[in-house]
This record gives sequence, structure tokens and C-alpha cells, in this order.
Amino acid sequence: MKTVCKFATLTLMMLAIAVCSFAQKNTAPRPETTTQNLVRGVIGPAGTNSSWANYSVFGLVPGSALFPIASSTTVFYFGFTAGTEADVSNMVVYTTTRGSLTITAVTPVTLGGSSSPSIMLSNTSVCPVAPSSTAPCIVRFDPTSLALSPANDYYFAVYLTNNSNNSAIAGTQPGNNQTSLAGTYFGSDYSRLTTGQSIPGVANRSPTFLMYVMNN
Amino acid sequence: MKTIFKFATLTLMMFALSAYSFSASKAENLERGVTGPVGNNTSWSGYSTVSLIPGAGLIPITSTTTVFYIGFTAGAEADITNMVLYTTARGSSTITAVTPVTLGGISNPMIDLASVTVCPVIEISTFNPCIVRLDPTKLVLSALSDYYLAVFFTASDANNNSIGLTAPQFQQSSLRGTYISGDETRLTVGAAIPSTLSFSNQPYSLMYVMNN
Repeated sequence: MKTVCKFATLTLMMLAIAVCSFAQKNTAPRPETTTQNLVRGVIGPAGTNSSWANYSVFGLVPGSALFPIASSTTVFYFGFTAGTEADVSNMVVYTTTRGSLTITAVTPVTLGGSSSPSIMLSNTSVCPVAPSSTAPCIVRFDPTSLALSPANDYYFAVYLTNNSNNSAIAGTQPGNNQTSLAGTYFGSDYSRLTTGQSIPGVANRSPTFLMYVMNN
Repeated sequence: MKTIFKFATLTLMMFALSAYSFSASKAENLERGVTGPVGNNTSWSGYSTVSLIPGAGLIPITSTTTVFYIGFTAGAEADITNMVLYTTARGSSTITAVTPVTLGGISNPMIDLASVTVCPVIEISTFNPCIVRLDPTKLVLSALSDYYLAVFFTASDANNNSIGLTAPQFQQSSLRGTYISGDETRLTVGAAIPSTLSFSNQPYSLMYVMNN
């Protein structure tokens, strides 16, 4: 009985240690406090695309490209390559199930607390260097309380007001294979769609304006 | 005596298992590296390769070190005069830090591509590129920065005239790169990555950026 007990103890200890060994992760994900990519952003030269008055710009954040990190917030970054002022009428994130165009949720996006900001590109506190295709001005929107899921797709929709300021602005337009993000655009305001409606078309281009999607 | 022997055996086994647990360190990508077959670009004497490791392409894992892997497709010996890593803010060309990069502890190594300990498959080619792992660099990459690996291949050097570097065929890596005549590895903090350089292509030589 004593021998059986000794063997049982030894076996249990070995099992406990072995379980600990195999359960351990080799590389821990970065802590959530670190600013990190939720998806591969735009790399290399960004290109440019101009004249955006009365257009709705859609940036697709595909669930299939999400990095596996936990984040309760999502932060979008836009790149401007020309202009002095960008006037936004409204901006939202549409959630769909992955591969579907049917909207399942609509989440407001803000800049400075407003969903209809005027972005002063000529202000050096916004753009330290005047925007150009070689030195895009990167604008960080307010963190959106949205935890991205690989089971969904997300469309960041921004409607640019029909005015002369927006006729003079330009956004980054990368080539193919430079990012996991995609995009498209439509004439007139498509930022007021509601749950159950459809995204008006597929995002089959590289993303205009949208450069990064991060946790901070 | 028997009891002591049992305890010793048990302790040794526990130690072995624990050591295995703590020493395991899996090599993981920090960026999406070069995929698919590579092409070849030859004759590098007097040229600097400059490879962009974009913050926007960083995969979010924790790593205190960064390891670069460079690929060769031809040649018997590569003579490097200097290797550094430049850090800039994301999207900026102004250098904020310069970090030496080494192989075998030195920044000016001679890489013996004819040695089977360096390149196990002889003769190296586009089908069998020789991939050389540089020393781990003590640098934690940030998604808010961009990084440029600059390597200057010694000028007026017959060895370097004969070497070939990998040149990816598929534009699927997050890495970008270019080259320039002359030594671009001596730039200092505050200087700029030359504006004449375009990073619209895949990198020459740099194949992978990993944590180990």
C-alpha cells in the first residue's frame, strides 16, 4: 500500500508539472496598454486620391485579417495628402457578419467628441507638416467603444460634406497588397444606414483615407 | 539510502521538466516576411541596401529582441562594412535612433557563403537561398515607429561583385526595400532617410524579422 501511495504521489506531481509545461504560452501577447495594430495597416508609399465633396468613403476592416489581441476600443487613423480643411457630415462603423453586406449594428465615430467635425488641415497642431503624398497628415479619431471580432466585418463610413473645402482635399490611396484593409466609395450620403439595410457595394479597392486601425 | 535515492530522482525529474518549461522560446514573426520563391539581384560592391520594417505591419506580440534574417542567392563571401537600424516616427523620415546590428558580435562581418556551417546547401541559388540569421538586436519594435535596416557592402570588393541577394517575386510581405550607391549606414539622429529612396518594392536580402 505504501509503495502504491508513493507511486501515486510521484505520478501526480509529474502530471502537474507536465501540464504546467505544456499549457505555458511561449510568447505572451503585448499588454493592452501598448499601442498596437488590430490589423495590418498601410505600409510603404501611400499614393493619393483627390476631390471628395459629396462622397461617402467606406473603409473595410475585415474580420479575417484581425490580429488575435484583446481590445475593448478601436481607433481609426485617416491620412490626408492635400487640402486645408476637411468637413465631415457624419461618420459611423457598420458591423456585418463576416462576408455579408447586411448591417447588424451601427456605431457612431467621433473626432473631438463630434460626429461632424471640421478637420483643420492647415493647422500645425493637426498637421505638423502640410499634407502631401510623400508626407500624409495622419488624423487619429476618438477611440470607438467597439471590440472587433474575427466573425464580423466592419465598414468605417465617412460622409464628406458637399462643399468647396472637400473638393480640394485628397486622401491616401495605397496600391494593392500594402494592407489588409480594403475600401470603396459612393456618391452622396451613405452614413445614415440602419440595422437590417445593406452596405451599398463591395469594398474591392485599396482603402482611401483609412491607414491604420489600432487599439489606441 | 533508498529514500534519499527516490527523492533525488524525483527532484531531478521536476528540475528537468521545469527547465524545459521556462527555456522554451518559440521563434515568431514580428512582421509578415517574404513568401514564395525569390528572385536574384547581383553585384553589390559599394551599395547599401535599405529595408523598411513598417510599424503599420507589426504583429502584436511581446518581444524584447528583434532578429533579422538576410538571404543570399549567389557568391562565396559577402563583405559587410557596417550594419545599423534606423528608427523614425511612423511615416516620418527623420531618424530618432540608430542601433548597431551585428553578426558574430561585429557590425562588419565577412560572411562565408561557401561554408556549409553558414549555408548548409551548396551551391546557393534562387532555389536554395542561404538565409543568415543576424545577432538578436536589443530593440522592442513599436507600431508607432518605422525602422530601416541599412547594410553597406564593402566597395571595390571582388567578393561583393559576385554575390546575389534575394529579391522577392510576390508583393506579399509587409517589408519594403531599396538600395543606394555608397555608404548610407553612417546617418545620425536628426538626419533623414534619403528622400530619393522609394520603398514601393520588396526588400533586397531582408527576408524575415522575428523575435528569435
